[in-house]
Amino acid sequence: MKFNTAPRALALIAASLGICLSAAHAADSRKEARIDIAPGGTVNIVNGDGSVALHSGTGRQLLVTYIAHSAKIEVDQNASANKQRVELITHALPGEKPTADEAKVDYEVTVPAGVSVNVSTASAPITAEGISSDIGLSSETGQITVHNVAKSHVYVRSVTAPVNLQDVTMSFVDVQSTGGAIQLKNVNGQRVAAGTTSGNIDYQGDCSGGGNYILTTHSGAIDVTLPATASVDLTARSATGSVENAFPLQQKPHTSFVPQQGRSFAGTSNSGSSSVELQSFSGKIRVKKQ
Amino acid sequence: MNCQRFQETLPYIIESGGGGEDESHLQECESCAALVRDLRYIAEQAKLLLPMHDPNPRVWNNIEQSLQREGLLEGRMSPPGHTQKNSTSQKQAKSWTPLGWMIAAAALIIFAVVLINYKPANVQPATLSARNSATDSIQFSSEDQQLISQLSQQSPDAQHAYEASLRDVNAYIADAEQAAKSDPSDASAQALLQDAYEQKEMVYQMATARSLP
Repeated sequence: MKFNTAPRALALIAASLGICLSAAHAADSRKEARIDIAPGGTVNIVNGDGSVALHSGTGRQLLVTYIAHSAKIEVDQNASANKQRVELITHALPGEKPTADEAKVDYEVTVPAGVSVNVSTASAPITAEGISSDIGLSSETGQITVHNVAKSHVYVRSVTAPVNLQDVTMSFVDVQSTGGAIQLKNVNGQRVAAGTTSGNIDYQGDCSGGGNYILTTHSGAIDVTLPATASVDLTARSATGSVENAFPLQQKPHTSFVPQQGRSFAGTSNSGSSSVELQSFSGKIRVKKQ
Repeated sequence: MNCQRFQETLPYIIESGGGGEDESHLQECESCAALVRDLRYIAEQAKLLLPMHDPNPRVWNNIEQSLQREGLLEGRMSPPGHTQKNSTSQKQAKSWTPLGWMIAAAALIIFAVVLINYKPANVQPATLSARNSATDSIQFSSEDQQLISQLSQQSPDAQHAYEASLRDVNAYIADAEQAAKSDPSDASAQALLQDAYEQKEMVYQMATARSLP
């Protein structure tokens, strides 16, 4: 009896592929949930590794999709009786010790307007896009990115995670990181504060809105790039680092400190509507024109 | 209390631990704190030399036999500093050897020389500040060490991240404290100090949150 080997080989390959796909599917379990949340409610997400992506939604429900990368980890969903608070907590199953890869959970969360979000991760990067409510994001080492947010309170904490905020307008912004770099592009509002211990701070924008802009670091560098239209009352001071100004500022008739060449300067541009304070201990401060 | 007065009470401090005024000066002055740490270390090391014993009598016997074989020794030999008659039967005594005495004496001499030669340096704030940064960058408080130890049991990656952060934050606090002390009326220095403590508080909050069961 003679067998045709080509179809058999193809069948074998197809079967192997099927088994592999099934195994992969079994390891990565994907789940979706629609969770009722009251207007003005809060969602708290705790995740170690993996990722968390937040988007704005139009409905009244929280849309949660997550992929757990192993069966050693699970996500607890809890909601308070009045639907004001929803929690999504990632944790290892009792007795399990998942590896870093096995512990990963990737979240995609669509957040209704007016619902506040708090996310806390270890190494998982966090991305928030277009959220129209208050945001509190905290990560040890995972990059934190916030884009297109308006009229919100944005509160960010990191240990060494880099932080990137872009197009965050008319908001209260408070970003603190010990070792991570902070990038702020087109970020404005009534109060914009960024502080690091050793991370660099980079601000590009017009500091508009008549707000207070406070950038502070110990040993990191502070770079501020302003357009000629920026209306600022600016002071820059460094205890032992250097300060450089390449932005046209009018000298102030009176300052609360005596400016020291190379260590501090102060001045205004246009009507000086926003207050900008740049301060470092040993980090270099540079202000330049866009 | 200034550095001069503190220096005068150094022997008492090393011996008894010092009083409240000494302690407060130690907390304020990194130079004196570093000196006291060094002196205490020397004193501790000197104590370790005290329970030095004689080598086993067999060692002396072997040396003696070797010397006799080589024709370098004719009579009986006894261990230095001992009037030993029968080295094999004598039990090992808990007494000081001349070598022990010499090492202990050397440690005491070093201790005395450090004390005599120590002069509080009149350094510029910036220099002092830089020195503090360097010193504090490698030091952790007991709370810091406890926190790092807890984190090491959970995740080595997290441990490294927090360790680096704490080192940086401690250096920040030391620099800011020095700046604020140099000029207490400097609002900018006070603001930096507050910011430094807030940074440390943040690190602790995040580490504690992760450590909770």
